[in-house]
Amino acid sequence: MKRTYLGEFEEVVLLTVAVLGEGAYGVAITDELDRQTGRAVSISAVHAALHRLQEKGMLSSYLGDATAERGGRRKRLFTVTVLGSRTLREIRAVRDQLWDSIAPQTLPAVSI
Amino acid sequence: MNAQPTPPHGANRLLEWFCAPHLLEEVQGDLHERFIRNVTLLGATRARQQYGREVLSFLRPFALKRQPREYPSFSLLSPAMLQNYIKIALRNLARNKAYSAINIIGLSIGLAAAMLIMLYTKDEVSYDRFHKNNPAIYRITSQALTPAGNTSRMEPYTGYLPGPKFHAGVPEIKAFVRYQEDRKDMKQGNEVRSQTVYSADASFFSVFTFPLLGGNPKTALQNPRSVVISEKMAETHFGTTDAVGKTLFFKNDDNFQPYVVTAVAKNCPQNSSIKFDVLMPMIVSQDEMANSENWFSVFMNTFIVLSPGANLNAVQSKMNQVYVADASESIVEMAKKYGITEKTQYALQSLTDMHLSKELPASNGLVDESNPTFSYILSGIALFILLIACINFVNLTVARSLKRAKEIGVRKVVGGARSHLIIQFLGESFLLCFVAFVFALALVGLALPTFNQLANKALSLAYLFDTRLVLAYMALFIATSLLAGFYPALVLSGYSPVATLYSRFNLSGKSYLQKSLVVLQFSLASFLIIASLTIYSQFNFLTSKDLGYEDKNVVIIDKSNLKRSEAKLFKEELLKNPNIVDVAPKNGGRWGTVAKVNGETQLNFEYETINDNYLPLFKIPILTGRNFSTDFPSDSSQSVLVNETFVNVAGWKKPIGQVVDFWFRNEKYTVIGVVKDYHYESLNQTIKPQLFTMNPRNSYGRAFIKLKPNTETASLHYIENVFKKLFPLHPYSYQFLDQENIKRYESEAKWKQMMLFGAILTIFISCIGLFGLATLSAERRTKEIGIRKVLGASVSGIVQLLSTDFLRLVSLSFVFAFPAAWYAMGEWLKNYPYRIDISVWMFALTACIAISIAFLTVGWQSLRAAMTNPVTSLKSE
Repeated sequence: MKRTYLGEFEEVVLLTVAVLGEGAYGVAITDELDRQTGRAVSISAVHAALHRLQEKGMLSSYLGDATAERGGRRKRLFTVTVLGSRTLREIRAVRDQLWDSIAPQTLPAVSI
Repeated sequence: MNAQPTPPHGANRLLEWFCAPHLLEEVQGDLHERFIRNVTLLGATRARQQYGREVLSFLRPFALKRQPREYPSFSLLSPAMLQNYIKIALRNLARNKAYSAINIIGLSIGLAAAMLIMLYTKDEVSYDRFHKNNPAIYRITSQALTPAGNTSRMEPYTGYLPGPKFHAGVPEIKAFVRYQEDRKDMKQGNEVRSQTVYSADASFFSVFTFPLLGGNPKTALQNPRSVVISEKMAETHFGTTDAVGKTLFFKNDDNFQPYVVTAVAKNCPQNSSIKFDVLMPMIVSQDEMANSENWFSVFMNTFIVLSPGANLNAVQSKMNQVYVADASESIVEMAKKYGITEKTQYALQSLTDMHLSKELPASNGLVDESNPTFSYILSGIALFILLIACINFVNLTVARSLKRAKEIGVRKVVGGARSHLIIQFLGESFLLCFVAFVFALALVGLALPTFNQLANKALSLAYLFDTRLVLAYMALFIATSLLAGFYPALVLSGYSPVATLYSRFNLSGKSYLQKSLVVLQFSLASFLIIASLTIYSQFNFLTSKDLGYEDKNVVIIDKSNLKRSEAKLFKEELLKNPNIVDVAPKNGGRWGTVAKVNGETQLNFEYETINDNYLPLFKIPILTGRNFSTDFPSDSSQSVLVNETFVNVAGWKKPIGQVVDFWFRNEKYTVIGVVKDYHYESLNQTIKPQLFTMNPRNSYGRAFIKLKPNTETASLHYIENVFKKLFPLHPYSYQFLDQENIKRYESEAKWKQMMLFGAILTIFISCIGLFGLATLSAERRTKEIGIRKVLGASVSGIVQLLSTDFLRLVSLSFVFAFPAAWYAMGEWLKNYPYRIDISVWMFALTACIAISIAFLTVGWQSLRAAMTNPVTSLKSE
């Protein structure tokens, strides 16, 4: 497989950025992750992941407006790049392919 | 509305410090946002805690890593910039020759002074440190305690007993050595010479570290007829240092006996309190050792070596136990016999503390006794000089900075940071100091012989190459560079580029620092001028005061144990020569004793053994009564003369006929005359009670010979011939009394010269600084002067205009210098019982000197500025 490797956390963060669309920045992403996955993530971990994703070229960012609750500081807003979206799609394709290849009744049934 | 809670300040500061600048805004914003939310959710306290935790969680590599800058900054020490700095610095030095010279001369003199003092101090503190047994070597000392328990006297010396007795009684004392100075007559061919010899116990070479060129250190002093000589002595006496086994002749009991050289020692180091040319074994008879009265006879130095780990206090108390046990009988006896109520307590003094000790000085056979005050004063002067030189540098650099303001502006505009400029200016001061340092080394080399003479040292340049000293010099160099360079660097680098480049820059108005520094310089200089004037007048006073007797044309001849018959014969022979006016014998050295007056009062006095023509020879008047006379044969056994002080102390109204009772000898004398007080000792000492006797039991030790003026050469020849004819086995040497009297003030003479040097140097350096400042101020005001002249100002008016400022500063300095000098000199003069008063003329003279020198320096520059044709100064814009 010739593609940039994405860690599980990175993948989730990348997806969350996509979910949030226009308003993806540190605090919002952390909250959304918390809400969607139910796991408590630290803000610094999110920042680190965003930083890494940006270095890998999967996210781009720009500085947004300053707000009062941020003490007059601007937020950095993230959007998923073409590379980012292709990677996500590839991951999904691989997953789907794998799911399709599983013979029926192989996995034990899980009652929800 | 309530004040919004804010995130913890400390955590914020921490974040700002460690977080990479390009991330800071978003990270801090996010944290702030969460904090505000947490305040509503959890309350302010927990929100703050949370904030702190979150800040700490950002301590991760990504947040710490700095983004590379788009435009790399110049490294402070990039070679190109360094090259530029050096080039500019050298150009500046070369272009402003006068200022460079002023700075370099001043700083090198200052540095040289400081270096000399360091050399001196190093030598002073290094005394006696070369012995391998240090720090276990101690000197036995004692103090006399009054019955109330106060120390009445510190006694650095000991007698025969303490060394051996303490060695035997205190196990911690590993070894002892007694060391005594003596003179012995030595025969060299047919010449008899009086030679200073030292005697010491056989343990000498195991206690002290004096390497031998030949001979065995263990046995060198064992045989009573052995002698150890120094390399120098061997060279002069035998012409070779290989002298072991050769023989020297010393006089012992009236005839010369052979002593075998058992060892030749290397010359004693310069920084040693023990310096010997001839060392002999110490011989103390059994009788002396058994006589416990010897505990009270004190005349030499005793050293001991303690075993490792010995407790000093324990050893001292054990020593005192030994003393009390051994001397118990004689303590009682002495108390009865002489009424001694004081108690002696023994103590130990470290060998290395000895040289600079004031209370327990290194003398009585030990040499180079030194007063630490001298070191302090010297260091003070050196510091003054260096400080004044640094002030010159600061003042001149700041004053001259106007010329470099454009350079500073341009450097800043093209991107030089303030730190770069500070480095540049500091670097320039380092460069200048380095040049000065090199000159200073040369100066030290040149001045060392003179300095040695003044400070009574034998220092050499080779002494400089010592790691500690080199480090100290490096420190001195760096300290001076920083001291001189730091302030100008700070000021110059702070100029605003806009102001400098628009030429709207001026320094006027806020030169308070410069002014106060000039005042400080001249205060120091005036202080030293007053000090040297005072010392000069005190010295003149000491050397020219009427001593109460005539010391001109008097020759002193020493002859130990001069018998009455010999003295008579000697006199008769001498008086055959018409050039010799009179001869009078006297006891050798200085004697003191005690006797009772008014029945029971004990009185200590100087005890002078003279004859009837002693007082007439010196023209010392007799106030009441009469002199000794040959007409009264009983004078020698029944009569004494006393001086005025004696009469005052005894409280006599009618001195003639009073009785002086030498009760311990059972002799009584009647006072037959009162001698006018005269200064028999140096003027540093008050006149004490004096008693003159002709007691035939006291032997004479010297003869005073009065010559006719200007017959010295012939008379001395004659005296020498007579002396050699009469006393062929005695060494002949002569001294002139007036020269001996002058010699007593050697230390004052040294102080005088030191102070004079110090004063001259400080005033010189202050003046070249003032000269520089005056030049600059004249240059700066060229146009003003031109316009004034065009409008009709006179030359004298302009000179006055330019000099008044500086002269005012110099006058202001007197306000500080005079009270300080008055106080310090008053304290110094208190050392002298006979002294001058500090008078107004010294201050007036100092003011005159300082003002006139300052006026000469400033005035010349002002005059030059005032004389320039206004056309030249005004035509160029």
